[in-house]
Amino acid sequence: MTESKITTREELLAYLEAGLRLEHATIPPYLTALYSLHPGTNSPAWHVLRVVAVEEMLHLSLAANVMNAVGGTPDLTRPDFVPAYPACLPDGETDFTVDLQPFSQDALATFLKIERPAQAPSEQARLVERDRPRRLMLAASPTDPGMQFYSIGEFYEEIIRGLQHLDEKYKAEGRELFTGDPERQVSAEYFYSGGGTPVCVTDLSSALAALSLIAGQGEGKGGGIYDNGGELAHYYRFQQLQLGRFYQKGDEPGQPTGPKLEVDWTAVYPVLKNARLSDYPEDSELARAARAFNSTYRDFLAFLTRAFSGQPALLLDAVPQMFRLRDDMERLIKNPVPGRPGVHAAPTFELADSFAPGGPDERSGA
Amino acid sequence: MIFPPGATALTDPDAVSETLYDAVIIGGGIAGAIIANQLSQAGQRVLILEAGKGEDMNVASYEDYLTNFYTAVSKDNQAPYPVNPNAAMPRSTDVRRITPGQPDTSPYLVQNGPYATDFTYTRVLGGTTMHWEAKTPRMLPEDFDTASRYGHGLDWPFGYDDLEPYYQEAEREIGVSADVEDQTYLGLGYPPGYVFPMRGLPLSYLDQMVARGVDGTEVDLDGQPVTLKVRPWPQGRNGIPNPDYDGGHGYTPVGAVSTHQVEEGGRCQGNNNCVPLCPVQAKYHAGKTLAKAVGNGVHLLTQAVAYRVHTNPVSGRVTHVEFRAYRDSSSAEYATGTARGRIFVLAANAIENARLMLASDLQSASGLVGRNLMDHAYLLNWALLPEVAGTGRGTNSTGGITDLRGGPFRGRQAGFAIDIHNDGWGWATGSPVSDLLHIVDAQNKFGPDLRRSLIDQVSRQLLLAFMIDVPPNPGNRVTVDPAYRDQLGNMRPVISYSISDYTMEGAAFARRLAKRLFARLGAEDCTAYSPADYGYVSYGGQDYVIRGGNHLAGTHVMGTTPANSVVDAALRSWDHQNLYLVGGGAMPTIGTSNITLTIAALCFKSAGHMIERLRAEQAPVVLSGSNQ
Repeated sequence: MTESKITTREELLAYLEAGLRLEHATIPPYLTALYSLHPGTNSPAWHVLRVVAVEEMLHLSLAANVMNAVGGTPDLTRPDFVPAYPACLPDGETDFTVDLQPFSQDALATFLKIERPAQAPSEQARLVERDRPRRLMLAASPTDPGMQFYSIGEFYEEIIRGLQHLDEKYKAEGRELFTGDPERQVSAEYFYSGGGTPVCVTDLSSALAALSLIAGQGEGKGGGIYDNGGELAHYYRFQQLQLGRFYQKGDEPGQPTGPKLEVDWTAVYPVLKNARLSDYPEDSELARAARAFNSTYRDFLAFLTRAFSGQPALLLDAVPQMFRLRDDMERLIKNPVPGRPGVHAAPTFELADSFAPGGPDERSGA
Repeated sequence: MIFPPGATALTDPDAVSETLYDAVIIGGGIAGAIIANQLSQAGQRVLILEAGKGEDMNVASYEDYLTNFYTAVSKDNQAPYPVNPNAAMPRSTDVRRITPGQPDTSPYLVQNGPYATDFTYTRVLGGTTMHWEAKTPRMLPEDFDTASRYGHGLDWPFGYDDLEPYYQEAEREIGVSADVEDQTYLGLGYPPGYVFPMRGLPLSYLDQMVARGVDGTEVDLDGQPVTLKVRPWPQGRNGIPNPDYDGGHGYTPVGAVSTHQVEEGGRCQGNNNCVPLCPVQAKYHAGKTLAKAVGNGVHLLTQAVAYRVHTNPVSGRVTHVEFRAYRDSSSAEYATGTARGRIFVLAANAIENARLMLASDLQSASGLVGRNLMDHAYLLNWALLPEVAGTGRGTNSTGGITDLRGGPFRGRQAGFAIDIHNDGWGWATGSPVSDLLHIVDAQNKFGPDLRRSLIDQVSRQLLLAFMIDVPPNPGNRVTVDPAYRDQLGNMRPVISYSISDYTMEGAAFARRLAKRLFARLGAEDCTAYSPADYGYVSYGGQDYVIRGGNHLAGTHVMGTTPANSVVDAALRSWDHQNLYLVGGGAMPTIGTSNITLTIAALCFKSAGHMIERLRAEQAPVVLSGSNQ
């Protein structure tokens, strides 16, 4: 067996924490692109973005399940949990930036990179040195500062190796790695993603099943375009938008043969790229709405933290809260920025600033 | 759910005319879809003729329907569907009050009166499940023999226990969310250990407020006290799958239908426009079953309106169905086609089945084709609650009162079920548009003040809709008249309809009960029935307005003999041995259940019979004397 870089439960938890952060980090860019689409247009793009975003939420829940199973406590409220955008994700030897931006050819190219299957050419190449601030860097090694994994796939591969190694080690020592309370697991009763259902993690094989669902939904399984559940992988869902045609069962990668689809690149609100609160005039309605959104989003992450800490039934109430988040995002995205013709506002996801005076009550003025 | 791409283009009128099918089904709604799916699973070659426009079902065309609805001024249940004179459909906005002796002939449904009904049905692929509310109560055991029991209605040729296994199949197909403990009342029984596919949907906040005032209310009927309770409705929309379903195998909810993989609709999100369309397809529609059927190889010919059922004058057997295939809904041009099969299934709804039979001069020996037309009579009662109740949230109706669906009082007056409407007064008054106009015009409000007033007004609205039993009455009927035809030359349905005293006695009781419930809730009764309304009925010196429920039934009732019915217990025509008439038309009574679940259960029952028949006919013939 290949050597694991994870040698202790603490290191495993650090990796899983980084995994949670990584899974979440893709959600703001996907949501920004999704809600930048003009309502009632671009149905194919809308559905692809939506399902991918929802399944990233499933991945977040799966990572939380693994973490809970090995006795960790998921915390989505740490100050650095939400990265600053543009954030950096690995893409082999180099990395690339992930922006909060409107749906566009550029955005689509980024999404394809996020979901692209990539395996390091050699064991030595699995970690790559990067000169980036850690706050921006995703899929970084939690134990080896300055190093980032070759790809998201390699990052999860490391967690899989770590789990296998630790499970074996613990068993040899007569101890149990999976000591978490099963009541903390998010089950299918509490999470419905549209494709794929949560895996309750209680032992090594269920932990590996959860992690392989994350990888399979993104990249497909064994070089195919579908995952184990027969669901089209995210990479190929996005690729359909580039190729103008849907995949169907039996298709080869890159050669979809299903119905045609159309993308209207112009039916998109031209929202600010990587918007910041400082982009909005002081005390403007937009500034208030942007702060209100950040505050609501911060509260939502705290709510999810509670759901992942022993109250999974709270996830049922998360649905109306997500409608509210959508409404708050749309309120920004549908409005132009004063003095900047042709530019629309966008949520900033700057959560540190959401502690500004006024807090959530400002929504009524937005 | 994948709808196989190109399924609607697999055949054409010419190819169909050259083919002998095992079964020819008229109508691509829930009844036709279930029978097509069952028969094709059993290896039978099936054709569905659908009158409505139809391309492959996909998310984009569904969203076009949604956009039509969102942008329509009138939010009635046909708002999503473009006008199609070649397969016209009744619409509530077309209904006018009828002057005695002067039938209203202008809309598609010709109405003789005296009562003008606003019932509708939808003629697109998927049928009326494209606008249904998806409430799925079973009929009560006592609903199956009300003639013997109470002296009203007709007895069914079988009882609840005979239909029970088929109710289970229907609940699986539709994907019903409910809990057995909530749905066990007035004799409704389930086999031990049965659970619905998905757990019950929760009562809305409004339901809970109503329950606080209503639960425990004692009603005295003929000396029999009944205690009222707000109870959740079983629903044909996706909820949390019950892991105990199917002996512990669980249930996988069926989401949106499309020609490509799309993940949506696996759970109800509580949107408030279930009628006509669930935005995410969490509500069942027949497309979910049709997708499976065409996946099994069923041929689907859309824009093909059945014109005449032809029979052999000697044997009475149906030889073929003549249909008119149109290309363009705005043009009267058509090509005539012929559909041939071993058996024929009319699944076009109670009005259209009867219309087609009568237009084909196929009045049965019983003379009952078209007669006994039934639709639930709805009496709406509306009031303003003393505090904000969250009206406008949740599906259209999550809870109701079912305690007066059955009981000995039915010997005297009709039973009813009560819906608590989460969508406010919309059905009764046109709210919230009517509220907006009133606040602007009468109260001169604008800006935040207007917004606040609208919220205050709408979120306190309570609408109790009493769905009242309508027993069969041979005088309530569908006929045809060569003088009234549609653009393709098909004879239009002519409706004669009146509301019986039995039903109105139930309505009068319902009105008194509504006033009492409103008083208990401290709600201000705002109900008003205008003699100018097309649905106006005067009874016992009081004014009422009765609305239609679109639960169309009775026009080809099933029974025990060719003299008392049009079809037998398997829904096979007594007069035409290879013809089945399925759907609500076969129901001898409708009780106080929305009829779709029962239609689906009957289709499963009937499909089993059809398969047996077809297999027996297809079995190799053994010649006597030859034992090889």
